[in-house]
Amino acid sequence: MSEVIGELLGVGHQYDEGPEIFKGVNFYIEKGSFHFITGLSGSGKSSLLKILYLGLKPKWGSVKLFGEDTFQIKPILLPLLRQKIGVVFQEFNLLDHLTVIDNVSLPLRVRDVDIKRSYKHAAELLDWVGLGDCMKVYPPSLSGGQKQRAAIARAIITRPQLLLADEPTANVDDEMATKLLYLFEELNKTGTAVLIATHNQRILKKFPYPQLALREGTVFQLPVEKKAS
Amino acid sequence: MNKDQDLPLRSDIAARFVPKIVILMVYLGTLCFTFTFFMIHSTLLWEEKLTTNLSIEIPFFSDGSSANLQTQVTDLLQNTPGINKVEVVPKEEMKAVFHSLLGESTNIDTFSLPAIVDVSLNQRDGFDVKNLEMRLKNMSPLIQLIDHRLWQSQVSNLLFTSTSLALLLTFLILCSTLVTTFFATRTSLLIHRKIVEVLSLIGATPSYIAKQFQRNAFKQGFIASSVGAFLAFLTFLGIYFLFKNAGQTFIITTSFFFEVLAIFILAPFITAFFMMLSARRAVMKALCS
Repeated sequence: MSEVIGELLGVGHQYDEGPEIFKGVNFYIEKGSFHFITGLSGSGKSSLLKILYLGLKPKWGSVKLFGEDTFQIKPILLPLLRQKIGVVFQEFNLLDHLTVIDNVSLPLRVRDVDIKRSYKHAAELLDWVGLGDCMKVYPPSLSGGQKQRAAIARAIITRPQLLLADEPTANVDDEMATKLLYLFEELNKTGTAVLIATHNQRILKKFPYPQLALREGTVFQLPVEKKAS
Repeated sequence: MNKDQDLPLRSDIAARFVPKIVILMVYLGTLCFTFTFFMIHSTLLWEEKLTTNLSIEIPFFSDGSSANLQTQVTDLLQNTPGINKVEVVPKEEMKAVFHSLLGESTNIDTFSLPAIVDVSLNQRDGFDVKNLEMRLKNMSPLIQLIDHRLWQSQVSNLLFTSTSLALLLTFLILCSTLVTTFFATRTSLLIHRKIVEVLSLIGATPSYIAKQFQRNAFKQGFIASSVGAFLAFLTFLGIYFLFKNAGQTFIITTSFFFEVLAIFILAPFITAFFMMLSARRAVMKALCS
């Protein structure tokens, strides 16, 4: 068994007085693994990812990331854990007052990487995701798909140890979706563990990686599907 | 692009009123501090000039015995331990004082002016005045001993109280500026909560986020307090020339003028530095709790 970088034990959560969205969720994320999280709308896929990127504290259970108990860790040390994680948010969360290149290079800048170097790196990545012409554009001028690609570029620019992507192909066509998945695969080959929440069946068929299915508040591991031609 | 633009703080509604408040506070603060400085400076000058601690008044006797008594008194004073200097005030000096009070036309020579002997002590405290007074009264019960230390200490106390109050006021003005910065930063954090949240989620440390607010507070503080200090300097010059034109002696020396100028130059740096610290404290308190 390879190194475990994420561990959820008996995790459960409910928003305010609402129903439990999941309970007793247990699973491990190994270094360099690739998983899809599937489930119906409202099954808690996004909430599960939120817990993993430390944007939500579950009501029950324990969450360990990179060997640290996230409930016990001092708040001042949380950013250090977050720096090991790349996140593609469902709502993109691009900063509207910054240009696309500033948005994409932001994770490098917060890690005190030299501005010129971070720009160079961001420009290369933007070229790769097909946004080479939109570097100086502000996010409100971009289409949904372009925002999605910019958000992905921002998430992977630091080559994180764990990549969490919430519906990263929701706003792009099949060709771009496939291209993005290849990008995630490339990143995975360098050792990044990838966890993607999706309900895109074509993608699931084309990329036969293990699936964690959220059903009735619990996670089930599904068998690997046969690769579509 | 530079690092302080991750947050759109320049167009911040919450901070729009801050520069105006800082201008006013720095204006009042620097003037108040200059006044304090003036008080300290004047007190020191005044105390430096104060050499007479006691005065002995020897009455004028028409039988001509005054001169003899004056000699006896000065002999006694010169032989009393603790006395540093004994000086008889010249008649001309006394006349000049009376002329300034009663007018030049008054013939002072017709007055029976007493002789005044000024006495400087080695140390202001610890001298037995009662004993000296008793010995002087034995020579003549009409001799008067005036102890200047009483009113001098009262004036000193008053000056000390005024200086302390002015300093306290300066401190309160600085505090109110810092409190304003603190709450403006907190409001700004709330306004930009979403951006701060995204920055945190992509790994920005509280210190990184605080630096953005710090730089903004420093810039804003420096510009606003420079304006405030400049206006205060103009007011100071205005007061100076007003006194000068009115023929009043406004006790300032060249060194005092340059020291005051230094206050006006340093004020923006000091204010901006403390505003920067206040902004940092506000952010770190909010993000690390």
